[in-house]
Amino acid sequence: MDLLANLATGFAVALTWQNVAFCFLGVALGTLIGVLPGIGPVATIAMLLPITFHFEPASALIMLAGIYYGAQYGGSTTSILVNLPGEASSVVTCLDGYQMARAGRAGAALAVAALGSFFAGCVATLILATFAPPLAELAFKFGPAERFSLMVLGLVAAVTLAHGSLLKAITMIVLGVLLGLVGADPEVGRMRYTFGLPQLTDGIGFVVVAMGIFAFGEIIANLERGDSREVFTKSIKGLWPTREDFRLAWKAVLRGTGIGSLLGILPGGGATLGAFASYMVEKKVAKDPSRFGKGAIEGVAGPESANNAGAQTSFIPLLTLGIPSNAVMALMVGAMIIHGIQPGPQVMQERPELFWGMIASMWIGNLLLVILNLPMIGIWVKLLSVPYRLLYPAILVLCCIGIYSLNNSVFDVGLAVFFGLLGYVFIKLECEPAPLMLGFVLGPMLEENLRKAMTISRGDPGVFVTRPLSLSMLVIAAVLLVIVVLPAVRRKREEAFQEA
Amino acid sequence: MRTALLAWLACIVALCTPVGAVAQKYPVRSIKIVAPFSPGGGVDTVARVIADPLSKALGRPVIVENRPGAAGTIGAALVAKAPADGHTLLLGTISTHGIAPSLYARLPYDAQKDFTPISLLVTQPNVLAVHPSLGVRSVADLIRLAKARPGTIAYASSGTGTTQHLSGALFEAAAGVRLVHVPYKGSAPALTDLLGGQVQLMFDNLPTALPHIQAGKLTALAVTSSTRALRLPDVSTMREAGLAGYEVTSWYALYAPARTPPAVAQRLSSEVRRILASPAVAERLREQGFQPAPGTPEQLGTMTRDEIARWAKVVKQAGVTME
Repeated sequence: MDLLANLATGFAVALTWQNVAFCFLGVALGTLIGVLPGIGPVATIAMLLPITFHFEPASALIMLAGIYYGAQYGGSTTSILVNLPGEASSVVTCLDGYQMARAGRAGAALAVAALGSFFAGCVATLILATFAPPLAELAFKFGPAERFSLMVLGLVAAVTLAHGSLLKAITMIVLGVLLGLVGADPEVGRMRYTFGLPQLTDGIGFVVVAMGIFAFGEIIANLERGDSREVFTKSIKGLWPTREDFRLAWKAVLRGTGIGSLLGILPGGGATLGAFASYMVEKKVAKDPSRFGKGAIEGVAGPESANNAGAQTSFIPLLTLGIPSNAVMALMVGAMIIHGIQPGPQVMQERPELFWGMIASMWIGNLLLVILNLPMIGIWVKLLSVPYRLLYPAILVLCCIGIYSLNNSVFDVGLAVFFGLLGYVFIKLECEPAPLMLGFVLGPMLEENLRKAMTISRGDPGVFVTRPLSLSMLVIAAVLLVIVVLPAVRRKREEAFQEA
Repeated sequence: MRTALLAWLACIVALCTPVGAVAQKYPVRSIKIVAPFSPGGGVDTVARVIADPLSKALGRPVIVENRPGAAGTIGAALVAKAPADGHTLLLGTISTHGIAPSLYARLPYDAQKDFTPISLLVTQPNVLAVHPSLGVRSVADLIRLAKARPGTIAYASSGTGTTQHLSGALFEAAAGVRLVHVPYKGSAPALTDLLGGQVQLMFDNLPTALPHIQAGKLTALAVTSSTRALRLPDVSTMREAGLAGYEVTSWYALYAPARTPPAVAQRLSSEVRRILASPAVAERLREQGFQPAPGTPEQLGTMTRDEIARWAKVVKQAGVTME
């Protein structure tokens, strides 16, 4: 009953016409920046933060939250259409989404992504409303040892992302981990591979690597194809998913929602892992895993649901404890402070209209997103008929603006060009970039948590196996590894995955 | 026609006026305050609170530009190389202008020679907070326990060489105990692990730790400033708890590049002091846990020198360097 009363309070706040307008403004802006490569929610919210000075606190937070989950929606669009992931979580969407677009099924991929995200967003918001306080406690059970084991599990799972040679996949993961370790050593401050450049002290940015390897690399590779450059328009097969698509996708959406909701709560990296974990699960449970990487609809539906569910549940630590679990949440903390609200466990009691208003607004926001996005699919798909000589320079310019806006740094743009060349080399060598990106994201966290766990345990590695949560994840990782490495299984895997 | 011609002539004369007269014309265009940390954090917040009234006072827009990276040193280096005309300012901190000069072996700027001090802006204490499971209620308890179990109690910090870390290092030296330092990437993940009891204590910025202290999830043992904190009147200072000479106060200050005309520096300084004294701005800063601390350029210059000397000792004692 409490819940209903609270939700009534929430909707009373969220359904005022100003707040619906702010919510719409937020999700529309979020969709827009999600579609524009490189300009992520962090940069946008940072830019808009000073403007929100003049709003009511609840309106400001509703709009900023809308930008965040709206960007998750929009981010899938570029991944599917032009193989351009704006965030770590949409790397996975590229794998099958882009392949679907190449096969003329961009409309179906976009629709499934939007509907999956809508469902996941609604369910995750319900979870947020019902179980936020007990779930927040779960985050505390995850110390450095548990996070380390979770990252190990993630890296082992990364092998399944590739559908080419196993050796190449592992090489790319290791390379990604190494790239992730560039910068000042987190404990003693020694510089690693910074070549005396102060800009590398804090490491290489995700967007720099992703834009470089995916967007720039792909564009360079396409340029040498000369006249035979692809144009998708030749074969657009309808804008709406078929019955068969829905039949395949609905279970993936359910699983993705569950995985994403759970991992989204964990601080640092949890939300990123959601999309990867969901992809891995879909590939494992599929009757015919060989379809993955070639345009399997579950490979879009699962991860897209997972990343949107994670986007909603990552508000749990912020709203219940005042602890931000990622950079966007840190900005939300800034927004609350600007309005004189010190985020913390007291916010729920002292400002219930704020807490429940935000939750209620998420349902409204998710609904607005679907209404906004479904009719847009037709327009997006038309975008693919723009000739490459116009589309590519536009993508390049937008990417450069996006990269520059992250740190106002020209150096980053140059660095992305370097990764573009590297991405071209990878395409030539037939090495897939997705495992590299996962290694790049997880590597630094792996190191950080390993060293923290060992520091706290004073050098005793037993800490990873004596803590039950940590042990169970390591066991799962070991089982996965055995399945991948066992020769008999491997042969089968290669038969299944090697493209003829 | 003649008036228009005269106006043009006046403009040309104005443009040709020698540098000495710049102060009267200052500012001639928008002013940029470089905040060398990410948006949404403390430095960014203070910069934005100051920017609005400063823009009204100077009659030109004042823009806050975030240039984060390498503990604020990237943004600081940028301002060090900017034209010394008072149109590019730095929101420097204890980190960029107190600790970094000793911490980094190769700092791309000289915290004293490359800057003209304008005014100290705000100060902020740290608070020593412990997880209740440690079972200590006072600083004396903690020292006793740490002496009985040397090198086993872990303290979290928001990174190597931050005030949170060096507050801990200073505590070890002052109390004669040995703790384990666990650096995190920022205050939030450190606080998460402290709340989960993965680490036992932390010297955190007061405003971030305060809600958890009030909720009883953390126990506050002492504040690190020389006087008690307004928001925690019952918690003693380190000195009161028996650690003579122990004081850590975070501070933010406004700097301009070296060789900024003295008249421009004085103008900026008096405007900033007036702004910080206004009740509305002071109240807004206090709400966010900052203590407004306006001062003259001379005072900030002396303070910068003293802080660099002081942290050089602590950094050396703690044995940390960044290459």
